[in-house]
Amino acid sequence: MPNNPSIETIQQGFEAQGYICNDAIALSVFLAQQLEKPILVEGPPGVGKTELAKTTASFLDYSLIRLQCYEGLDESKALYEWKYSKQLLYTQILKDKLGDLLKGTHDLAESVGRLHEFGDIFYSEDFIEPRPLLKALNNPNGTVLLIDEIDKADHEFESFLLEMLSDFQISVPELGTIRAQKKPVVFLTSNNTRELSDALKRRCLHLYIPFPDIKLEQKIIQTRVPNVSENLRQQLVEFVHNLRELDLKKQPAISETIDWARSLMLLHADALNKELVTSTLNVLLKHEDDISQASNELNTLLKSSSK
Amino acid sequence: METPLVEFFKALRGAGVNVSTAEAIEATQAAQILGYSDRNQLKSGLGLVLAKSLEDKSRFDQCFDQFFQFSKLDNLSEHQSQQELDQQGASAEDDPPPSLTERLQQLFNLPGGSSGPGGSGQPSMTQPQSPLGQLLLEGDNNALALAMAEAGREARVNEIQWMTQKGLYGRRMMQAMGLGELEQEMWTAEASDDSTQQQLGNALRTARDRLRADVKGFVEQQFVLQAAATGKKLREETMMSVRIEHLREFKDVKNLVQKMAKKLIATHSRRKKVLNRGMLDMRNTLRQSVPTGGIPFDVYWKKKRKDRPRIMALCDVSGSVSQVSRFLLMFLFSLNEVLPKVRAFAFSSNLGEVTDAFNELSVDEAIDYALDTYGKGSTDYGQSLADFTDLCMNDIDNRTTVIILGDGRNNYGDDRAELLKQIHLRSKKVIWLNPEAPMRWGTGDSEMLKYKAYCSNVAECNSLRQLERFIDRLLTHQ
Repeated sequence: MPNNPSIETIQQGFEAQGYICNDAIALSVFLAQQLEKPILVEGPPGVGKTELAKTTASFLDYSLIRLQCYEGLDESKALYEWKYSKQLLYTQILKDKLGDLLKGTHDLAESVGRLHEFGDIFYSEDFIEPRPLLKALNNPNGTVLLIDEIDKADHEFESFLLEMLSDFQISVPELGTIRAQKKPVVFLTSNNTRELSDALKRRCLHLYIPFPDIKLEQKIIQTRVPNVSENLRQQLVEFVHNLRELDLKKQPAISETIDWARSLMLLHADALNKELVTSTLNVLLKHEDDISQASNELNTLLKSSSK
Repeated sequence: METPLVEFFKALRGAGVNVSTAEAIEATQAAQILGYSDRNQLKSGLGLVLAKSLEDKSRFDQCFDQFFQFSKLDNLSEHQSQQELDQQGASAEDDPPPSLTERLQQLFNLPGGSSGPGGSGQPSMTQPQSPLGQLLLEGDNNALALAMAEAGREARVNEIQWMTQKGLYGRRMMQAMGLGELEQEMWTAEASDDSTQQQLGNALRTARDRLRADVKGFVEQQFVLQAAATGKKLREETMMSVRIEHLREFKDVKNLVQKMAKKLIATHSRRKKVLNRGMLDMRNTLRQSVPTGGIPFDVYWKKKRKDRPRIMALCDVSGSVSQVSRFLLMFLFSLNEVLPKVRAFAFSSNLGEVTDAFNELSVDEAIDYALDTYGKGSTDYGQSLADFTDLCMNDIDNRTTVIILGDGRNNYGDDRAELLKQIHLRSKKVIWLNPEAPMRWGTGDSEMLKYKAYCSNVAECNSLRQLERFIDRLLTHQ
């Protein structure tokens, strides 16, 4: 892979991976590489935020490290942890060795002095258990770091990320500051369940992925579910678009459109009709209220999508 | 440093997008990387760096389109890309206004009749001598836009402050572009007997009028972009400190209240954990001691979350106090995110709960409803307090903060201060906000001094700034 791919290469490369994107998305990946900044991706669920990181990883041929955020996520789970049991075990085994080492010392001060010569053996890299963030920094071959659903993590964790995101380094008290061997490409995703802090936003490029327009979504379906006939593809994408116009609790996302296209294909359908849609509506809509609302409007929805 | 970009940042800030210096530097880097040749690319690139929320994005898009209307031309180095950019710009808009050149060309062809744009055939009139005249009649769009932008810079249009300065700056710009010479030539040409000369004079006059219109447009655009920012800030400052009853004069008070509320939400949305030292968290300590073979190296303590205050707001909705009530309620219900449990009561001669109205209607409608329903009759604090205790004395507990907003003027009626004492004893806090200055408390029919004895906190409150400060304190010391 070229080191600094241009916007067109990115878009084509993504397409080869089966990820169809508009110019803005390709541009953001391009800029993130040029400016060495993380990208904060926002948008409704199911528009391919996580997928973007995965695709970037396979496009750049980097390994993907994913950190799923949740309430209560803290340093020891995200950054590193000391291997306590290993430390204990080693001290047990080395107990006898210590006697040999300290042979010939006369008083306590001398013994301690001799021990000091060995440095912090038990607090070295051998005893550290790297968690996703540290792994991403330590990988010399380049990584894509995906910090998923950052809005679910606590405020404290958000602030803790700041050092990592702006300088690509983190501080471990016993070891000092660890710098990235190769700066990872960082994606943060958020579903906007809460407002992220300005400090975090300032350090990121902000990409908003909306629902795609009809043309783009058709192209996506074409790539992802190639066996669907063209006629059906047009119909189903338009149907989903009409569905999004309704006032629904949860609007069907791209992933749901893809699932629906797959299920229609399994049913060997080549055109939408009322029975077919009624029986498969639960693939698209995940709330009982939404399903009943859509069922009521089914006739109009179908009419406008089968034109 | 690239001046147009810096001006663009200023305009963005004016439009309400917060651009930090670091972001400005990044945006400049991004612009350098992307180049100026592709307008859409530049737009989404800058948008990625500068606009950090969905709201900001729409503001950014609007501002970008306004700003790079035609002053975009002086950013460019290549003519070809300029034209591309023009075309894109034109195709992006539904109804592109005819550019100056187009209009001039039309104008040029109309009186000439037979003379084609190719310049074949006999010249129908003499060529103009003054530089501006040449520029105008040549029809070089780019050169003209460039000249206009330069003149704009020379006349320092971006320092325009007031709408009334439009004429002044417009004139300065025209002068800078060489209006004097043009007019001189125009007059001479018109005065001459030669028909070709007269034709030239006519063409110049029309061209000058067109230019004047365009310069006016340019100045107006600059005003919208630049001065709006400072003007808005000044107006907001005034609105913050002016007495609330005078606020009716201002149109965008509501936006300001929302902005202030948003700021308060941002500051207080973190639920602070208070370490409650002394209580050992056995479960956590044991769990964390597993890697160390059951030896509790690290000891964990129980944490306590600070509760959000439960608020009951009693608002006097009679007469002059109603304005202040309006803003207090507007504030409290805009703070839904940090104050989820607000109950509102309105009173004048009697009291009633209006919380449902606020949950169902928009804030404005709900306030109007409250004023209509309870705003009639003379104020009776005694009766209102009695109504309140009847209504929800049982709901008040030691986590409830009761806010009373009113001037305490009871029309010499029974004050029933003992009811307030009961409320005070049951609740966490009773806060009284009085729009009157402390000097006037207790004068005339004001019972403020009696009520004051049973309040945990009494404050004067008659400007938005005081109101904001009060709510800030309320959220901080709960």
